[in-house]
Order: sequence, then C-alpha cells, then structure tokens
Amino acid sequence: MRLKILEANEKNLVLIIEDVDVSIVNAIRRAILTEVPTVAVEDVIFYENDSPLHDEILALRIGLIPIKAKVDLKFRDECECNGKGCPMCTIYLRLEKEGPATVYSHDIIVEEGVAELPKNIPIVKLAKNQRLKLEAEAILGRGKEHAKWQSGIASYKYYPEIKIKEDCTLCKACVEECPRNVLDVEDDKIIVKDELNCTLCKACVEVCDYNAIDVKGNDRKFVFKVESSSSLDARDIFIKACDVMIDKAKELEELL
Amino acid sequence: MIIPIRCFSCGAIIADKYEEYKKRVEKGEHPKKVLDDLGIKRYCCRRMLLSHIDYIDYVIELENRRGAVG
Repeated sequence: MRLKILEANEKNLVLIIEDVDVSIVNAIRRAILTEVPTVAVEDVIFYENDSPLHDEILALRIGLIPIKAKVDLKFRDECECNGKGCPMCTIYLRLEKEGPATVYSHDIIVEEGVAELPKNIPIVKLAKNQRLKLEAEAILGRGKEHAKWQSGIASYKYYPEIKIKEDCTLCKACVEECPRNVLDVEDDKIIVKDELNCTLCKACVEVCDYNAIDVKGNDRKFVFKVESSSSLDARDIFIKACDVMIDKAKELEELL
Repeated sequence: MIIPIRCFSCGAIIADKYEEYKKRVEKGEHPKKVLDDLGIKRYCCRRMLLSHIDYIDYVIELENRRGAVG
C-alpha cells in the first residue's frame, strides 16, 4: 500500500491510496462514518424554555452540534461510574439566555480546557421576555448509533486513467463535451489537464467518433476524501478509523 | 422554521453558514456565487440553504402580539 497526501488540514484530507483492494478502502470509509468515536450531547435537562421550539426539537438541535473534546473521555458504559455519568465520561454544558436574541452554539458554556464548541450555529431565536435555561451532558458515541456522532464524511473513487490514442483527429468534440473541463488542447494534441477532476462519466468516450479516447478507473488506486464534521481533525479521523479496523481484526483473531 | 444544523443527506454542518448566506443574498448577490464562496460543494448541502424558508421570525412575532394582549 502506498499513500500520497494531496491535502491535509483540520477540515479536509485528500489522499491517493495505491496498491490496495477496494474492500479495504471501503472498510476505512465505513469505519469513518460509523465507528470513529466522537462527542455529542446526549441528555438535556430543561429548566426554562419559552422559545418557539419544543424541548425535544431543541435537544436534537443541540445534539447535532459537533463538540471538539480536549480531554480523553471514556465510553459511559465502560466507565468506572457504571453508566451513571461522571467527569471521566461526560462533558457538562450549560446554556442560559434571555430574549430578544438568537441563541448560538457559542453561547453554550463549557469548562475551559475541556471542550470547544463551534461558532455561529443558530440554535433558536427568542422573543422579548422569553427565557431559555438548560443543562446538557455530552458523551462519547459512535456514528452507527446516531448520526450526531458521525465523525465526518468519507468518499473514494477509482483513480481516473485517460488515454488518447493515435486515431485522434483533433476534432475537439471531447474537450467541449467534458462537463468537468478535464481535457484541453496543447501543441496540436489533446492533453489531460486535470485528471483528478474526472468523474469517469465517459461522456468524452461516447462523443468520440473515432474511438480515440479511453477512460478507465484503476481499481487498485483510489482518491480518498475525508471531510471532518469539526469534532476531530480530518487526519485524526482517518488514523482512528484504521485503529478501529486493527482492533476489530485482533478481536476476530482471538475468536479464531 | 429555523435552518437545520446539518445537511439531511450527508450530515455536514451547514447552519453556521446560513446567516452570511442570507445577508449576502439579500444584498443582491447571486446564491450560486455565495454558496461557492462559502465552500458548500455538494448539491445536497446547497439545497439545504437554497430552499430554506426561515419562518421562526413570524412565529416570534405572533408570540409578541399574544404577549401584548394577554
């Protein structure tokens, strides 16, 4: 297996993975969607809610906000507190606001150094004299349980390989037909200007009257993209997904 | 009612971009350009902002009036 990193920052990770089977790449993708643990609000206690939204809807909206935990949490059911909830497995949040105002995600109060909340996500709007007061508990969970714990979005595609044969008459039909502007003309030749942008739609193959262009996806080479939901760094998501797969393989080995 | 926090289809966070989107579109910018600037690439996420009707303000208005009467 060979890896080439095209882009790596907090939000996005773009990789080219070579010499690997599609099943492995898909397993990593599925691990990112369903298995990488992240932190999200699970329980909300309402003291006051005069807002136009019901408690349940507000609790769901707060749950969907990604929380960047700065401490290592345990899963609640594996914690020493036996699922009751303690600072080892829970992040405690508070929210109090009076209208007229928009309640944002950054209005939620959390102990410094424990977690970080994203900015500018509107939770609800309050009219004059309306009050909102609540406490919330955020815990570690997995995407397969609820989408609020989904660590990010992962996708892959076969690496596009575009070949232009000698039969080409330079009619430029393929250049015009391509919806992603992958092809171009240079020095009396059709060239591939941006092959990563190709989606393997084969519109150029269909439009060519001379069968001079060939588009194929390499099924041993992949373009892999991870987009973080901002509760973890995109790079960490990929690494943790691989860890999950290793753990699962070990578990299987032990059972055998 | 109010902008959903995540995209219904893919789960990406879109709510944090809504206020800038709304402000710029109301100023007369083309929604396509604003969505591109905000880095919303997939059409599932784009439709979340494009098709959203923010009627929570009307509900609040109603509550205000009710408060004035009773």
